[in-house]
Amino acid sequence: MRWVGPAALCVALLVPLVPAGGYQQYVVQVATFVLINAAVALAWDIQARTGQLSLAPAAFFGLGAYAYTMAALRGVPLAVAFLLGPLVAGVVSLGLGIVTLRLQGLYFAIATLAFAEVVKVIFKELPLDLTGGAVGLTAPPLLGGHQTGLYYLGLGVFLVVVVASLAVRHSRLHYAFTAIRQGELTARVLGVRVVRTKLLAFVLSAALIGMVGAYATSRLFFVIPEDTFGIGLSVTALATAIFGGVYTTAGPVLGAVILRSLEEVLRLVLREGYLAVYGVILMLVILYLPGGLVSLWNRRSRDVAGGD
Amino acid sequence: MLLAATSLSKRFGGVAAVRRLDFHLDPGEILAIIGPNGAGKTTVLNLLSGVFPADEGRIVLDGVDITHLPAEDRCHLGLGRAFQVVQPFPEMTVRDNLMIGALFGSRRRSLAEARARTEEVLALTGLADRAAMPARDLTLAWEKRVEMARAIATSPRVLLLDEVMAGLLPQEADEMLAVVRSVRETGVAVLFIEHVMRVVRDLADRVIVMDFGEKIAEGSYADVTGHPRVIEAYLGMEEAGGA
Repeated sequence: MRWVGPAALCVALLVPLVPAGGYQQYVVQVATFVLINAAVALAWDIQARTGQLSLAPAAFFGLGAYAYTMAALRGVPLAVAFLLGPLVAGVVSLGLGIVTLRLQGLYFAIATLAFAEVVKVIFKELPLDLTGGAVGLTAPPLLGGHQTGLYYLGLGVFLVVVVASLAVRHSRLHYAFTAIRQGELTARVLGVRVVRTKLLAFVLSAALIGMVGAYATSRLFFVIPEDTFGIGLSVTALATAIFGGVYTTAGPVLGAVILRSLEEVLRLVLREGYLAVYGVILMLVILYLPGGLVSLWNRRSRDVAGGD
Repeated sequence: MLLAATSLSKRFGGVAAVRRLDFHLDPGEILAIIGPNGAGKTTVLNLLSGVFPADEGRIVLDGVDITHLPAEDRCHLGLGRAFQVVQPFPEMTVRDNLMIGALFGSRRRSLAEARARTEEVLALTGLADRAAMPARDLTLAWEKRVEMARAIATSPRVLLLDEVMAGLLPQEADEMLAVVRSVRETGVAVLFIEHVMRVVRDLADRVIVMDFGEKIAEGSYADVTGHPRVIEAYLGMEEAGGA
């Protein structure tokens, strides 16, 4: 199935060129949000592979978004401001990780959730001329706000996350992450540096999410604490990765394509109450396909392998 | 002396699990620790491998004081550990289970080197036919073998084995014995805990007997099995079991 990735990339490259008449702008916009959702979900998944349930993706998304916006508004060149996104998110996650990564299971999850809420409140309460308070700030757009250009930039951002995920998958980190997830004590006794490895996964994931945050802001043109740091963003990232299939590169991407498209179709068809239907479909898949959508495909290929 | 413990002690609440234990292990030696249930044998292995810290005493591995080092550092210095309650990574294949030991153990290996080491240990331990199976699909006997193979894959200087023969059929135990002997041939010292006395007799160069956290006898298999305190400890256990 090696053709799937390159084929999907070709489709993604062609999206803005598809003649969709009056819907052209709408299609590119939806595709951009698919890329953003896929990138956040996949970046979240990278650290989830160490068995740590982080509920803080929104915090790192927001930090990246605010770092970009605040720097850009102060005259920092946009390219530099953009790079501040992953940098700030990465540095903050390093501090948070050192404090929290010794916590196990639910305690870690709750600590990250609390952190995300605290960061949101801080950005709301800081002086107005600094963060804009509850109203937020208007973000200067990258590439002059050119929609097609921003779509391709989004594709680039997404590909950075994909490359990071694949690099982890094909290095010794993949073995370390999986061993820690399936038995932390055993991993230690076998020589895996558990805390250091978890920290690396956490910071890599946060920096990538911060990069997506900086990009998404330059596309959305604003930051608001309630949205930019919103728990909804974290929930979407988790749901997308779980729906598509965690601990894989394809899963979160597939999850984002299908969930985001599904949401748009349901909205157009049903207009009202579409979120309820969306929620039921999401629940059914999670209940009956615990490995997510990619498990359908893996199950088939395992049968093939078992047959010879 | 490759490994030496001095005055090693560990308490859990009010219970002294290990009390002022002294012992040493020479290069290439096979040392057995036996004793009734609750004698503190597994606690000794946990103290050695760094699962939890000792309250008192020192552990020295080849001149390096490892008493306060975390488990992963001890592994890097050459302590390989197989658990009594098998701890396979359930969703990984047998091959990947060994790969973890080969990659992160006592030698810094590249992916390719670790793969080669893994295949070597798979062959040595008779696991090659099952290499592609997920560990969770194995029977207990094969899980025990994976547990030991994974510790061997770390290329230890001292191999710590905790009842890896328990519950095995005689023929399976014999195969494991052969593996332990062939590992020793390569200069590795072995410290093992075992209840199956036949295994202790056939494998151990020297035996330490523990009871209530203390060493009550030490010597050859013949020496310790004739020792009055050892007979008392084991008879006492049987009486308690019969009551």
